[in-house]
Parts: sequence; C-alpha cells; structure tokens
Amino acid sequence: MNLIAISINHRTAPVDLREAVYLKEDEIRPFINLAKENQIKEGLILSTCNRTEIFGIPSSNDANHEKFQSLLLNFKPAQNITEQHFQKYVSRDAIRHLFCVATGIDSLLVGDNQVFKQVKDSFQIAEETNFAGYIMHRIFDAAIRTGKRAISETSISGGAVTVSYAAVQLTEKIFSNLSKKSALVIGTGETGEIAAKHLSEKGIGSLAVTNRTHEKADKLALKLNAKVIPFSEFKDSIYKFDIIISATASPEILLSKDDVKAALKKRSNNPMILVDIAIPRDIDPETRKIDYVFYHDLDSLNIIVEQNLTKRKSEIPKVEKIIEEELDNFVEWYNSLQAAPAIKDLRDFFEEIRNEEVERNKNKFSSEDQEKLDIVTKRIINKILHHPTIELRKADDSTGSGDSATKIGIIRDLFGINSRKKSEKD
Amino acid sequence: MISGIHTINILLPIFYFLTLVVYFYDFLRGEKKLVNVKRVFLFITLFLHLIYIVLRTIAFDHPPITNVFEIFTILAITISFSYFLVELISDIRGTGPFIIILPLIFQLISSLFIQDLTEVKDVLRSNLLGIHVISALLGYSGFTISAVYGFLYLVLFKDIKLNKFGLIFNRLPNLEVLERLSFYSAIIGFIALTIAIIIGIIWLPIAFPRFSYLDPKLIGSTLVWLLYAIGITSKVLGNWRGKRLVLLSISGFIVAIISTILSNFLAHSFHSFY
Repeated sequence: MNLIAISINHRTAPVDLREAVYLKEDEIRPFINLAKENQIKEGLILSTCNRTEIFGIPSSNDANHEKFQSLLLNFKPAQNITEQHFQKYVSRDAIRHLFCVATGIDSLLVGDNQVFKQVKDSFQIAEETNFAGYIMHRIFDAAIRTGKRAISETSISGGAVTVSYAAVQLTEKIFSNLSKKSALVIGTGETGEIAAKHLSEKGIGSLAVTNRTHEKADKLALKLNAKVIPFSEFKDSIYKFDIIISATASPEILLSKDDVKAALKKRSNNPMILVDIAIPRDIDPETRKIDYVFYHDLDSLNIIVEQNLTKRKSEIPKVEKIIEEELDNFVEWYNSLQAAPAIKDLRDFFEEIRNEEVERNKNKFSSEDQEKLDIVTKRIINKILHHPTIELRKADDSTGSGDSATKIGIIRDLFGINSRKKSEKD
Repeated sequence: MISGIHTINILLPIFYFLTLVVYFYDFLRGEKKLVNVKRVFLFITLFLHLIYIVLRTIAFDHPPITNVFEIFTILAITISFSYFLVELISDIRGTGPFIIILPLIFQLISSLFIQDLTEVKDVLRSNLLGIHVISALLGYSGFTISAVYGFLYLVLFKDIKLNKFGLIFNRLPNLEVLERLSFYSAIIGFIALTIAIIIGIIWLPIAFPRFSYLDPKLIGSTLVWLLYAIGITSKVLGNWRGKRLVLLSISGFIVAIISTILSNFLAHSFHSFY
C-alpha cells in the first residue's frame, strides 16, 4: 500500500516547534490544494496543539517522506525544525499510527476523547475538499470504528484526568443526584470556566458564578444559563450552595474557616463540598477539619488524576489488541483489491448466477436444447466480462499507484462480492 | 433425605465462601464481565439454601427456628436474600463482599453445630410462633444490612475527608446512596420487628405461663426498637442525616447483638428453649 505519513508531535518536538507548523482550519484547505497540486491524490491532514500529521497516497512512486516534509515546511516556514522532529510511517505502519491517534493512546493525556473528535473533523475536511478518495474512505471508516471500539470495549477514556473534571467526579462520590444540588463557581478564568462547564454538563440543579470583574461573570453565566452573584456579596450566600469551586487569582484567602462554619450552621449541617483549584489557595485549608465539610485542593485532586492516568495506561494493551484486529481486517480487505483474485471472484460470481438460472429453467427446454442453453449463457457472461477483465489487468500492470485498487474496490462494492464472500465464510 | 440434608449442610458454607470469593474478586478487579457471574453464584447458593430449609422442615417436622443454630441458617438466607433483592433493584454493586461475609459466618457456625432435632416442645410448633420468629429475624437482617451500609458510609466518609482515593473510593457507591440504603434497610427491619413485637405481646402471655415483661430479650428488643424509632422519626422530620443517622443505625445493631447474646447464652427466661 502506497500510504505515507509524517507526524510532528509532543513526543518529537517542543511546543514552540509544534506551534510553528500548526495548521488552523482555514489553512488546512489551501494546504490540501497544494498537496493535490504536488501529486498527493488523496489523504488526511490532522493538526492540533499537540500534533500536526499528514497522511497521503501519492500518484507516483517517487514521492517520499521528504517530499511531505518540504511541502509542510514550505507552507509553514519554521526555523529550527529538522528531520529528527518528524516521525515517518509507511503502509501498514501509517494506518496503525492513525488508529493509535484516533484511540487516544498516542496522546499526551492518554485516552483523550478530544483527539477522536479532531480526527473525525479532519476526515470531514478531507471529504469536503475531495481529498478523501476510495482507499482513504475505507481507512477513515476503520479508524472511526477502532476509536469507538476502544471507548466502548476498554476503560481507556475512563475517569477524570484533568483537575476540573476530577473536582466534578469527586462531587459525584458524595452526592447521588447533581440535578438536586446547587453549585457556585468563584472565579471565571479558564479553570473556573471549565469547572462550571463540567458541572453544567453533569446536569447540576442550579449553577451560580461570581467574579471580581462582573462582565466576565455575566458572559459565562449567559453561556451556561447560570445566575450571577456580585463578588462583594457572595460570602453571605455560600450557605445556599452544596458545591463551591473556587479558582481565582486572589493572593489572599477568600473564604475563612469561620465563614464556612457559619454557612454550615445556616444549612443545618447539610454537607458542603469545597473545591479549591486556585494557586495560591482561596479557601482556608483548615475548613477540612469541620465535620460535614469536604474540602479538597489541587493536591488531593491531583491524586485522583494520577490514579486515573495510571489506570488508563494499563488499558493500552487492550486497545493495541483492538488496533491489530482492525488493522488485519483492513489489510485483508486491501489485499482483496489485487487484480487476479478480484477477476476470479467476479467471474465466479457471474458463473454462480448463470448456473443457478440454468439449473432452475433447463427443464423448460428439450434435452438437445439444454446443452445449447449452457453454451449460449456462458458465451454471454464471457462477453459481458471481457472488457472489465482487460481493464482491470491493464490498470494493475501500468501504474501500481492504487488506481487498480480503487477500480477493483468499486467493482467489489457494486456487486457485493466482499460481503458475499464474508457471509459465506461466517 | 437425611443424608441429603447432611450433604447440603456441608456444601452451604462452601457455596457461600465461593460466592464471597467471586464478589471479592470483582470488588478488587471491577471487571464488567463478572457482574452476571457473581449474581449467578449468589442465586445458586440461595436456591440450594432454600432446598435445605424445605428439606429440614419436612424431615424434622418443624421449621428450623427452634434453637440458635437453626436460627443462624435462617438469618444467613434472609440476609443474602435481602441483599440479592437490593442488588437487583438498586443495581448498586461493590457492597456485596461486605454483606455476604455475614451469611457465610452465620451458616458456618450453623453447619458446625446444628443437630437433627426431631423432638421439640409443642409450643415451638405453633404457626404464630413461626411468624413471630421469622418477622423478628427479618427485622434483625434489615438492621444488619443497615449497619453494614452505615459502616461503609463511615469508611467512605473518612476516606474522602482524608484524600484516600483507593479501592473503597473507586468501588463503593456515593455517600448519599449508602445513607439511603442504610436507612431503607433500617425501615424494613423496623417494620418487621414491630410485627414480631406485636405478635409477641398478644400471643406470648397466652403461650407461656412464665411470661414476664422483664424478660431480657424483651427488654433488649424494645430498646432496639426504640433506638430505630428515634432514628427514623428524626430522619423523617429532617433533624438527623448523614453520619449521625448511620451511627445510630450501627449503635442499634450493636445493642441488638448484645441483647441476643445476653438473652440466649447468659440469661434464663421463658425465651430460652435450649
């Protein structure tokens, strides 16, 4: 298979180099056009903050990894990038690498779901730009199937691996139904916003946000359908909330032990969860000593994150097994696109139909005519298949660039020869 | 039939042990494929236990409720059956090993010391006594399960407070669910014990000439009943919740155990038959 892939990623290059070759969505389309002009007839471009990858099937046999690299570096000129910053794959290894990326086992954050979505988006762009040909289509399908299987059959994406999500996971270990609970997020910076989003996605009953800059709180509240509490007043209303997540840049403590004690008294000792994901801390750590208060800071959340990451890593062998299975299936399909077996399968298929019909109807003919019926129908089939057979042999002989594979693939799909053979096998 | 009963008597602790091993293994590994396997193990054990009780009742012409070792086997089956129902209805897994260890202990003691009693006092053949004893046992099974869930609540509560995110944190259901399971088990136990006490008050003075309201088992059961009545009322009124409530449930269970030990092994009263 003439599939070539190059990858610059978090394993091979530091962030500044990855940034230098990062392709935004509006850059990917012109880059695809450039690739097409340079005899890459079909392929896939994947670019995220952690990786930029080019997969492609060239029209000619003289294309190699260096050509792919120079194409990228001409489009995104970047200093200090050398050949060592690229991983190179070809054929089966290139597909295996794509499957590894799609399942998240090649990610910085093992099992990251985000990358699966990014791979699907890249496929979408390839389709929209007619960069996804017959073979790439099958590769996409196989990659998506592999990604889905990894998620459903293993725990590769299980558990929280970010601090904000770990905070939400922790609340679920205390409360059974978040839709009956209320939460306050103090600070609407990036971390606070992500935590608020997670709570909202988990169906929190009521969500409120507060921030020193009121406009920022308003903006986030509008996005998440949350209430806004003025920053100067939030201390008086903390007793109303079951969950409080704080993530401000405040240099001093915002909630003291006495504040929390007073709030708990007002709540008749209804449990409260306080999650402090700020540095320096916003909530007095002494509050952990109060009964019915579950106080957690970055250190404790990081324990959860580390545990989940270890668990995800232990799932990698299971995912690799799935990848190998899907890879074998794909290669088996690809090998069926060789001209000789395809011609034989096609002829067998027609012969079977002919034979069935002759057997079914021969009694309608006299015994002398039955032999003629056999000869005539064979002749018809031979005439029908003559031209396709010649064409398939010709394509196979000439380029070796995958054209014949595409033709054979289409013929197999049209007549359902693959699925028919598979069901016979089963 | 007697030899069959003896064989099942030996097999039952082994079956409970195997079930416990499967539940415990699942607790450690948390593999999806074991979910149904462990239920099948528990179901087979329960079925075998039911056959055992029916055979005993037929062979010895009385339900096995006439002495402490017969009662232990009934306790074992009522606890495991109650847990089986809780697991099926709530679909909450991960608490099984902590419950199933109790029927194993009860059945092991029963299997070791149970005798083939054919001669029992006439008073012990009464149907009312049957209902009295079975409802009391169901009550105590409910309290036992409630106490186990209460205990698990306390362990998880402490683990979360101390940032210990190990097996207990990963496998047990959340605190609110544990509290709810403990509370509902206590309610079922309370209703069953109330029935046992009502039947006792109506029927015991007639059946036993030596009946006394100062009987240790009676005082113990009343004390247990009062403790749970206070706890349930406080929860319903919204005054008590969480840790305080489960502590009360555990205290009720401890009082129940002490009262049973005192009245069965140390005191002599009309409630002692052996």
